[in-house]
Amino acid sequence: MLLTIDRLSIAYELADGRELEAIKDFSLTLERGRIAGIVGQSGAGKSTIGKAVLGLLGENARISGGRILLEGEDIAGFSERQFGAIRGKRVGYIYQNPMTALNPVLSIGEQLIETIETHTDKRGTAARSYAVELLTGAEVSHPEERLTKYPHQLSGGLCQRIVFAIAIAAQPDLIIADEPTTALDVTVQKAVLGTLKRLAAQENIAIVLITHDMGVVSQMCDEVYVLLRGQLVERGPTMQIITAPQERYTQELMAAIPSVEQRRARFDVLDAFEETPGRQRGIDYLRAGTVALAHGDTMLAISNLSKTFTGEKGGAGFKALDSVGFAVRRGETFGIVGESGSGKSTIGRAILGLVHPDPGAIIALDGHPIGQENRQALSRKLQCIFQDPYASLNPRMDAGTNITYGIRAAGLVPRKHAQRLAEDLLEVVGLPRAAATKMPHAFSGGERQRIGIARALAYRPGLIFCDEPTSALDVTVQAEILNLMKELQDSLGLTLVFVSHDLAVVRQMCDSVIVMRAGRIVEEGPAEQVLTEPADPYTRQLLSAMPRFLRSAAAS
Amino acid sequence: MSAIKRLSGPSRIDPFLVPFRHYPAAIAGLVGICVFTLAAILAPLIAPQNPFDQGQLDIMNGLLPPMSEMMDGSVSLLGTDAVGRDILSAVLYGMRTSLLVAIVAVSIGMVVGVVLGLVAVMRGGWVDAVIMRAVDLTVSFPGVLLALMLLAVFGSGVDKVILALAIGIWAQNARMVRAVGLSEMKKDYIAAARIGGLGDLRIMFHFLLPNAISPVLVLMPMAISGAIVAEATLSFLGVGVPITEPSLGLLISNGNDYLLSGRWWISVVPGLVLVLMVLSINVVADRLRDHANPYLQARG
Repeated sequence: MLLTIDRLSIAYELADGRELEAIKDFSLTLERGRIAGIVGQSGAGKSTIGKAVLGLLGENARISGGRILLEGEDIAGFSERQFGAIRGKRVGYIYQNPMTALNPVLSIGEQLIETIETHTDKRGTAARSYAVELLTGAEVSHPEERLTKYPHQLSGGLCQRIVFAIAIAAQPDLIIADEPTTALDVTVQKAVLGTLKRLAAQENIAIVLITHDMGVVSQMCDEVYVLLRGQLVERGPTMQIITAPQERYTQELMAAIPSVEQRRARFDVLDAFEETPGRQRGIDYLRAGTVALAHGDTMLAISNLSKTFTGEKGGAGFKALDSVGFAVRRGETFGIVGESGSGKSTIGRAILGLVHPDPGAIIALDGHPIGQENRQALSRKLQCIFQDPYASLNPRMDAGTNITYGIRAAGLVPRKHAQRLAEDLLEVVGLPRAAATKMPHAFSGGERQRIGIARALAYRPGLIFCDEPTSALDVTVQAEILNLMKELQDSLGLTLVFVSHDLAVVRQMCDSVIVMRAGRIVEEGPAEQVLTEPADPYTRQLLSAMPRFLRSAAAS
Repeated sequence: MSAIKRLSGPSRIDPFLVPFRHYPAAIAGLVGICVFTLAAILAPLIAPQNPFDQGQLDIMNGLLPPMSEMMDGSVSLLGTDAVGRDILSAVLYGMRTSLLVAIVAVSIGMVVGVVLGLVAVMRGGWVDAVIMRAVDLTVSFPGVLLALMLLAVFGSGVDKVILALAIGIWAQNARMVRAVGLSEMKKDYIAAARIGGLGDLRIMFHFLLPNAISPVLVLMPMAISGAIVAEATLSFLGVGVPITEPSLGLLISNGNDYLLSGRWWISVVPGLVLVLMVLSINVVADRLRDHANPYLQARG
């Protein structure tokens, strides 16, 4: 057995002197050449296990019990010096963000050759040709040329391949890969994972793959360990965990994963809505603002929307959007999908008035062109839900003030009623009234996103622009938030413009959809049609790159 | 010892004191600041004489060493200067002037700097360029030299010294607020405020300011001690506060002529007080800065 983790417990010392048991009695066995996945939500302790194997736990963490056996030798009690001897040489590691894992001031060649010279006896030209060989193995095109490049000159996918090359340079027995593709686009992700799997098989390297993405697990892993709050919930062969999970938590985890194949009315997760008078009052407030207009009319019409970002000192501009046009009907959810850099967020920023489009663009809401001058009035028709819940709330205002500050300034609610309204709206989005007086840092990502939704709703807008509202959230939290948005849409008749890179989420949410690539619309139509019978080769490529797995058994 | 033990226990601690747990030097500094500030505020009540009331001075008491008996039978703890002024009293009153000048100068510099920094962030473009070039110009002079030049233009006086020091201080604050503000400006909560139709002033003071001000506040004690030293330097050089409201710097300069004739106390006592005062503030400021920057926090 290459790696055996035996009843491992890890405790963190908190600032007030107490200890928090982050990992409790975790066991894992891994043979040479096999891939084990550790899955769980953020905060479950996945990364902590990976760090323990590498001896990279912070100084406030200690192994409070159990053993980590690497080829029979217990490394749990190793000193920093002893870890130094195995790290990189016998155990390689791959981090989530390749851009930060590479040193920005050294060229690719310098970094690779440094690793090679540290861990092998190859020097000079031998080291260099080995570097080229490694890059070729990691499927980096033009390997010779790349050696002289710096990380910022290469794409994220290429950087991650280079990280792979560095990780296998010393021919380790084991690689710890911590969310290796989370920062990458879906089409890149699939190819990069394929490379990693092939390399592992070819070099007979075992991998501990830490991820939150069941799609990645199903593509890569032989065996899966499901972690919940530091404890092992379930372990088993990948197919068994995915198709026939035994434990309740695993079942919930599977049910929360959106599918691109079939649309479901709601995800099977518990929604904690209590029908309280406060919640009803909140809903009444929101309903009172929505003007009863017929569904199906065109609400937002965009034509000839282009945006050129000018380069440095008269350099050639970058065309982020190129003559984009579409129409959103009242009451529908309109999806915009595409990979990073496709311009999907720029559309939103242009609609919201955060960037000025090139001259000639027409953005009309309810038949009136949106100009810069009626900002105040516009705020009551058009709101936004943001991607990063950790940056979208003012950290120095409590939740209630975050929600009502804007509408109070706009005179939509008198000061003395603001507090009660904030509490009502918190109940509408499924948070307790008491949350109103807490500061943002006291909330989890999902809870913050709910507060952000309440803030957008408070203006009683007709249209809400949702910019990847769940891509920073765990899959079960994502399911809860998506359910909430569907629920609100049903009861309030909202129109949503939903931007996402995740086709499955788009499938679950959207009525019609446009597919963006490099600033242009490549395909548009009803979500059903575009995502099941795509006409454009790019859409087909996106769809085939989606990590997916058989879920018919899991759904039953 | 027991006081420290009580502070470090898991019991409830005043949140203000948290940064000082386990740091005896910082606690000593905090005590020092309290003592000096109290002494300065209460100077008229606790000083044995009013050192600037000519009627209370007697030339016969001139140049007495510490612990000497004066003509009226009282004991001068720290000695007297050439005109018979009690050094202890003079130092108490001098601290008053030193602290007042420093605190007011830093406050003015801070408010002006923070507001201009925020304006630079909000407006950008040429407004930003003008403000930041003014900052560059200001910080390219050594602080004391700049104040010297300004005082040559303004003339002397407590208000003039405050103004001259504040002009040196605003620039650092503007630069700091701008740096933090620019990164805050990119965050979505600012975008949300804009989408919510909020005006620039609201965004500036209710969204940007509270999130960009912490580094300025953390460095404020350091700025105050810097201002105390700068003021002392100016007064020692004779361009600072007027002789009627002497600060510690002026008192040191008064005794300068007598240093070589063995009457050390006239200069050394105010000098020592200056050093202790600045040291106390700096120890506390250091601790606050490290506490605010988790990367510098002691490990273990």
